[in-house]
Amino acid sequence: MTVSTAGRDWGVASACENVSGEVAVVGVGESDHSRASGRTSGEIAAQAVERALEDAGLAPSDIDGIMYAPFAGDQFDEAAFHRHFGTSHDMWVSKRGGGMVWAATAAHEAALAIRDGRARHVLNTFAVAWATRRSEMVGGPGESHAQELFKQSLEVPFGWFPQPVYFATIAKRHMYEFGTTQEQLGAVAVACRRHANLTPGAVMHGRALTLDAYMHSPVIVDPFRKEDCCLISDGGAAYIMSASDRAQDLRQPVVEVAGIGLGNSATGVHWAEQRAFTSTPQVFAAPGAFAMAGVEPADVDVLTLYDPFTIHAIMQIEDMGFCVKGEGGDFVEGGALDHDGGVLPYNTHGGLLSHAYVLGIAHVVEVVRQLRGEAAAQVPDARVGVYGGYTGPQASTLVLRRV
Amino acid sequence: MRPDFPLPDTDWEPTREYWAAAARGELAVPRCDSCGAYAWYPRETCEACGQSSFTWTMMSGRGRLFAWTIVHHAFLPQFSDAVPYVPGLVALDEDPAVRIVTRIVDCEPERLTFDLPVRVVFRPLSFPGIDRTVTAPFFTPDAQ
Ligand SMILES: [Zn+2]
Repeated sequence: MTVSTAGRDWGVASACENVSGEVAVVGVGESDHSRASGRTSGEIAAQAVERALEDAGLAPSDIDGIMYAPFAGDQFDEAAFHRHFGTSHDMWVSKRGGGMVWAATAAHEAALAIRDGRARHVLNTFAVAWATRRSEMVGGPGESHAQELFKQSLEVPFGWFPQPVYFATIAKRHMYEFGTTQEQLGAVAVACRRHANLTPGAVMHGRALTLDAYMHSPVIVDPFRKEDCCLISDGGAAYIMSASDRAQDLRQPVVEVAGIGLGNSATGVHWAEQRAFTSTPQVFAAPGAFAMAGVEPADVDVLTLYDPFTIHAIMQIEDMGFCVKGEGGDFVEGGALDHDGGVLPYNTHGGLLSHAYVLGIAHVVEVVRQLRGEAAAQVPDARVGVYGGYTGPQASTLVLRRV
Repeated sequence: MRPDFPLPDTDWEPTREYWAAAARGELAVPRCDSCGAYAWYPRETCEACGQSSFTWTMMSGRGRLFAWTIVHHAFLPQFSDAVPYVPGLVALDEDPAVRIVTRIVDCEPERLTFDLPVRVVFRPLSFPGIDRTVTAPFFTPDAQ
């Protein structure tokens, strides 16, 4: 077996200012998650924001900072906010919010805005209506990839498209380099489903999955079964950040932002170019976040990861230092990811695989709920929780801590 | 999206020479005129030396199978006649960092192995309902 463990010359960490402990997540909310709902992403986001405000005990007029992602439909920007709530006050605005890596890094930018007095209460939202819009999108959520011209010229004509195909190829190479097995991929899918079965709002609530059923499920793109792949659903989430000293006076137990890191691959946005084909930029994101928080991977009580496919759990668990590179497959077996007794409770709401496809923002909401002690699949006495975000060329780590 | 999607736009400047070479039965990759490094995917500046002059260079067409998968489900309707098919990445012998996205043909998928020697063959890319075809580099196991 050829083990091509890549060196560390293929990417870099972004510089992040130390904002540890400065801000807290004071309110969280999720929309209803569903298959095609007929709603727009803006309507979905508004529902999540209303619930986050209620959770925080804040009024719409208290929100003077808003973060969103300027893609994926009509996002909930400041105009949409004012229209929905009938407000008109000035707001600090950032388009570097939303889900994926930004569900973590939004907390860094919000902390700086709050430190500088540009905002007091910052809202981050993300929502998609991709289940409703699926039929009009080329390759579903692959549409933005299909429009990338190098992919269109050099990859799509050969059928190396959309995402399930690239990531199955990466998974197969990971299996070759490190001996990762089909059962280990299945262990990730089963753990996520078990947690979704305990979570009333999860799209796959009530749909059980055993490892045996997984192994007998048809292969759609080797080695992936349907259960290795994220859902397509309509949904959204929101969270509100405030200065930690203000958070003491608000409604909820204080969950502070303890550490943030952002890692970048230097080798391009096309997976064929990636030097470290079976790694993620968590290699560069996680160490800085853990250092800022003053914690080690072993201190983490609950982990959520952006998980479009099962292999992303295994790769990021390795790359964040929860185990040695290549041993992620062994690590996830035997109930290790379970909320009740696992060594690393993982995606305790079900993740993108079984909870909802809202690109990671609901993962942050879940970590907050775990640290408050109010999650559906609650980890006993969770004090340190982590979200790992991923886009391919970038990854991010957010460490949250119960004060 | 273009009406002949998912055929490549062979006139798109950054990869025009790639498709023109394929039409002649050649596999070509840009090579830096200053330092000789291959640049794949095509890019504005050489990552090795920072210069920005390249010449499309004919390659041997031999390499190793770096990774592949077997696609059983047609994610795009244009591939419904093609499944199951085997897209893969070939690391070229001249520089294994150059990985060509391709399809592996003329081989039972079960017989493929990582790092298998492969060689280029040129075949028409065609899709149901699209009249035009484009000659493209596919790869097949290299009997040596
Ligand atoms: Zn050069």
